[in-house]
Amino acid sequence: MTAARDWRGLLFALPFLALYALILIFPLMRGVWLSLNQVDLFGDGHFVGFGNYARLLHDPVFGTSLVNTFEVTLMIVPPLTVIALFLALALNRAGKGAAIIRGIFFSSAVLSVTIVTLIWRFILAPDAGLLGEAWKTFGWQPLPFLSDEHLVLPALALTTIWWSLGFPMLLFLAGLQQIPEDMYEAAALDHSSRWTTFWRITLPSLRRTLVLVVMLQTAAQLQLFGQSQLLTAGGPSGASRTAVLFLFEAAFGRWELGYASAAAEILFLIILAVTITQYWATGRATGADGGR
Amino acid sequence: MNRIAAALLLILALASCAQRDNKTHLYLQRFFGECGAEYGGNIDVAHAQGECGIITTLVNRFNAQNPDIHIDVNVVAWPGYPQLTAQMAARDPPDLVTMHEGVISDYALKGLLEPVDSYLAKAGISPNDFTDASRLGVTIGAHEYGLPWDTHGGLFHVNTALFAKAGLMRDGKPVFPNSAAELMAQAHQFEQRTGKPYLIQSLVGDPAGAARNLYTYMMAQGAVLFPDPHHIKLNTPKGVEVATFFRDINVQHLGTRNMDTPAAIAAFINGEGGIYPTGTWMIGSFEQEAETPGRPLYKSYAVFPYPRLWGKRVEYVSGHSWVVPMRKRTPKQREAIARFFKFMAAHNYDWARTGHIPAFKSVLADPRFMALPHRSDIAPLAAMGRQLPPYVQRQSAIEGLVGEEAAAAFTGQKSVPQALADAERRVDELLGHLD
Repeated sequence: MTAARDWRGLLFALPFLALYALILIFPLMRGVWLSLNQVDLFGDGHFVGFGNYARLLHDPVFGTSLVNTFEVTLMIVPPLTVIALFLALALNRAGKGAAIIRGIFFSSAVLSVTIVTLIWRFILAPDAGLLGEAWKTFGWQPLPFLSDEHLVLPALALTTIWWSLGFPMLLFLAGLQQIPEDMYEAAALDHSSRWTTFWRITLPSLRRTLVLVVMLQTAAQLQLFGQSQLLTAGGPSGASRTAVLFLFEAAFGRWELGYASAAAEILFLIILAVTITQYWATGRATGADGGR
Repeated sequence: MNRIAAALLLILALASCAQRDNKTHLYLQRFFGECGAEYGGNIDVAHAQGECGIITTLVNRFNAQNPDIHIDVNVVAWPGYPQLTAQMAARDPPDLVTMHEGVISDYALKGLLEPVDSYLAKAGISPNDFTDASRLGVTIGAHEYGLPWDTHGGLFHVNTALFAKAGLMRDGKPVFPNSAAELMAQAHQFEQRTGKPYLIQSLVGDPAGAARNLYTYMMAQGAVLFPDPHHIKLNTPKGVEVATFFRDINVQHLGTRNMDTPAAIAAFINGEGGIYPTGTWMIGSFEQEAETPGRPLYKSYAVFPYPRLWGKRVEYVSGHSWVVPMRKRTPKQREAIARFFKFMAAHNYDWARTGHIPAFKSVLADPRFMALPHRSDIAPLAAMGRQLPPYVQRQSAIEGLVGEEAAAAFTGQKSVPQALADAERRVDELLGHLD
């Protein structure tokens, strides 16, 4: 393989690289530059170095939004992964019935966040909401899911799990269909129980899909925005304000573009660190276990 | 199979091609809600109800009366400024936008809005025609930056049937308190006799309402909220007194606590409380309920400005206006904007049926306006109304910050001094970083 041949090969990748640089690398670099300036959406601004970052470190509203983001991500990703896995296990079979039920569970994923939050407002609102009315029939006081600072993040998590279930379920279904049938036949010949089969064959075979689902969902939920903006507007008193809602309010509500860019860069670094850590940790585990 | 699919795609593509018209198009962006299902093709302005119904039929009627012009409408969620700001940053703003008067200076000082003097002149409208409050709201320096459309503020919407049951009606009018202590006493009396809360409050996701209550009763006590363009003063004895008063209402269970705006509106319409403090914009809808036999509010509705609880009888108000974002336009589009202004000015009475105070002196003095239900009761709002000082920038964002902290104080999520101090810190930080 000669050097000249290498360069010609790169030419084929050039259109992609140019587009990638234009729509991804350039905005990323521009965002970094903006984060070093005090600038609004319509002004020239001036260079402040790491001033915006220093201001963010002392901003309790930003700190709370980061904590909220981590909490809601932890409330969403583990149950979403487990529920999606068990739904996939239950629905991984031929037949019209299973196909219809798969379609039903996937249907929420095609809805826009506006519709999802509208539906869940009707369910969660304590006055005349579905859950509120159900509570009242038992003679209980309806829970204020959208106005209690301790309930509002679980409410967002519930909404998001319902909305996001479809895609991970499909990934798990695809993973399940890749597992060779002869492994199950061998397990049956050995009279292994359902639990042993799941634990010894299914779960190890799904390890890569599991890692993919957890990483994708973690990155996605760390950027949770629409549910928080539309269902609770970040309230009460900032109890459901996520990091992306914080930077949206800073950029487009208060026009503090430099400050919002600094918040975005911090969030970007956090997502990158979490994703790389997950990849590294699961890679080590996979290697140690000799997984598929 | 492939041929059939290709043919279907071709038919779909051809069917998607809109016929080119020779009309002058204007792109209008507004809040006030979406009600196309009810008023989509309606041009009967006189029978339209509520902000959404009236503005929708007005635009429909303008399109019908001006066959050479078409207004394309984009409805945004209130207040719509983040979207507008993003559109302006992308250099693709609408031609006409609804804007609160307190927000105009943010955009005008950045050169993002056109002065509308020439449009007003073409439409035959003089700034002298505006009410004083409206003119003040759209004037910056020597130029007008919008067509004022109304003055609006908070009102006490009252269920008079429940007030009568509570023994709080005299000569057919609700008895209102003259002090904070009197209000608490009346609220207890109301709660004891009706078993329902005195106040219906939308404290969830409604920072504007909480900010309005705090601003109003601090202004009533003569508090200077913004001593200069870079600072707000809320954590003062007057601020603490007002916030503590609203907190006490919740502590003593005299008001609803967990409602957002739609829930509070539904609760008031269904007779679940005595007073719903919300804006002028709800009068039309509540009056319709009051005129409908069988409804809980039937013949049981009255509305008044906020009562005096401290100091002077003043109230925080704002105003809606039509502004024209800066962008390239054809002479025909400019002509169309002038015609739109003329049409809207001519229909300011129709808009005033929503409950808002009209922006034109002639409509304010029009016997038709004074003959509308409750208008003599709310007329004092025109004189009581106070806007924030024009040197305060980012008023919409500040209202959000103050309202969030005020609601936290009212509901007990934060201590009153903590919430007011947090509001001050957040607003001062915002104002301190303006270039």
